[in-house]
Amino acid sequence: MSNLIKLENLTIGYEKKGLLRTTDIAIENGQFWGILGPNGSGKSTLLKTILSLIPPIEGKVTSENAVVFGYVPQNEKFDQIFPISVFELVSMGRYSRVPPGKKLSTGDRDVIEESLKKVGIAHLSERSFRSLSGGEKQRSLLARAIAGEPDILVLDEPTAAVDIKGEAQIMSLVKSIKQESGLAVLMVSHFLNTISAFSDHIILIDKDNDIFQAGDKAEILNSENLNKFFGLNLDIERINEIQAIERLT
Amino acid sequence: MTTFAEFINSYFLWKDPMIVGAAAGAVCGFLGVYVVLRRIIFVSAALTQISSFGVGLAFYLEAYSLGVFASLFDPFILSLLLTCLAAVFFALKRDFSRVSTEGVIAFGFLLASGAVVIIGDKITKGAHDIANILFGSAVVVDPADVLIIPAVALVVFIIHLIYYKDFIFISFDSETARLFKYPVRLLNTGLLITIAVVVAVTTRALGALPVFALLALPALASLLITENLKLVFIFSVVIGILSATLGYFFSFILSLPTGASMTVCAVAFFILALGLRELRKG
Repeated sequence: MSNLIKLENLTIGYEKKGLLRTTDIAIENGQFWGILGPNGSGKSTLLKTILSLIPPIEGKVTSENAVVFGYVPQNEKFDQIFPISVFELVSMGRYSRVPPGKKLSTGDRDVIEESLKKVGIAHLSERSFRSLSGGEKQRSLLARAIAGEPDILVLDEPTAAVDIKGEAQIMSLVKSIKQESGLAVLMVSHFLNTISAFSDHIILIDKDNDIFQAGDKAEILNSENLNKFFGLNLDIERINEIQAIERLT
Repeated sequence: MTTFAEFINSYFLWKDPMIVGAAAGAVCGFLGVYVVLRRIIFVSAALTQISSFGVGLAFYLEAYSLGVFASLFDPFILSLLLTCLAAVFFALKRDFSRVSTEGVIAFGFLLASGAVVIIGDKITKGAHDIANILFGSAVVVDPADVLIIPAVALVVFIIHLIYYKDFIFISFDSETARLFKYPVRLLNTGLLITIAVVVAVTTRALGALPVFALLALPALASLLITENLKLVFIFSVVIGILSATLGYFFSFILSLPTGASMTVCAVAFFILALGLRELRKG
């Protein structure tokens, strides 16, 4: 497996102020990384630094040449004043491969329609994005992310605004897209159960307590970390995809 | 009051202002969609005032330069220059040392508004033109505007046709656009410069008040009557044209100030759209 992204000697932060020093990480093809931490812990800052949307305070983020990101931002960041259709929204995901001043080709349109079908919202294509339910909006954003045929799917709190059923559907879709396309996934969440159920690698982050741990899921989700990080008195007996934490004591 | 027959017979009087009004209404209506969707209505208000200030400043400098540099202070060029500089400033500057962006826009608006009134008070020559620019009371237009404004409108429409997807993308989701390596700052500046150029050329012909109205109200009305973005642009252009031409028509037959008449027509379309929306909801 090749390294898609490497974090080296990285310190993340805003406006030249360092928030947290990270350990070195390499994200490889086919891996599922979960970034886990409480609200305001620096998850989104880390994610935006990895995406080069904000510069690191120290160190560097290197990515393989021409790595294509499929990005699912937080739903509430979009201004509801825009009357764009689902098709127009999903088309934007394809713009990673269509430079400024160029129009979408017939081939691009086929990929967009295929993406809509993959997430089960082809029938909503002409609907206004702002009129959709929370779950439908997340599916649309997922379709947008895969329309660019990405190497890495990046999800920022994809299940924050949906109910349990919606969360299960979204995560099941993410899982099937990953399996089908073999892409890497990087997901931010503050839900321990979601991250532990789907990730194979985890980053624990909390800038206020200067915590940054990254590695294999079994290595990171140990009793000591869960106690220190979440204040939970837990024994980890077994970790698998169905049930991350087998027994509470 | 002039009758409709008299209006038709006065074709030679209103042909040019109608052409200018229709072109200005179309292009302001189109760009107004971006102004409203990006929530920068007060940027357009500040730009119209800065454009007016440019014209006033040119008259002032001309009056006090003893005629030596008179040709350097062309009101159109100075207005265009200042408006474009302001647009670039608004597009690029993000950190205003603890003053909010809205605060800086209000600062630009108030500074330009105050300065143009002071300048108008200090000079006698051109005072009438300054009043026209502020309130749009000009019944006739400069013959050059009959060519300049439709030509500017055409160029702006061509630029926006080419970069439509990009301007929408950076306006809706600039973060993902940056992730995809789109030149967001350049596109933002380009978009605001097209708005600035249109504001500069149309403010001189129609006045600050109707240009501000045409940049805001047709787009606001269109957003009330359709959920389809492309139709929003089309309706906004049509409402912009109708507001400008009907405004001119009513000002002609009822002897009203032209700019105010155009503004009231645009307001009427907005109220009509609001009524239509309420009817559909009911």
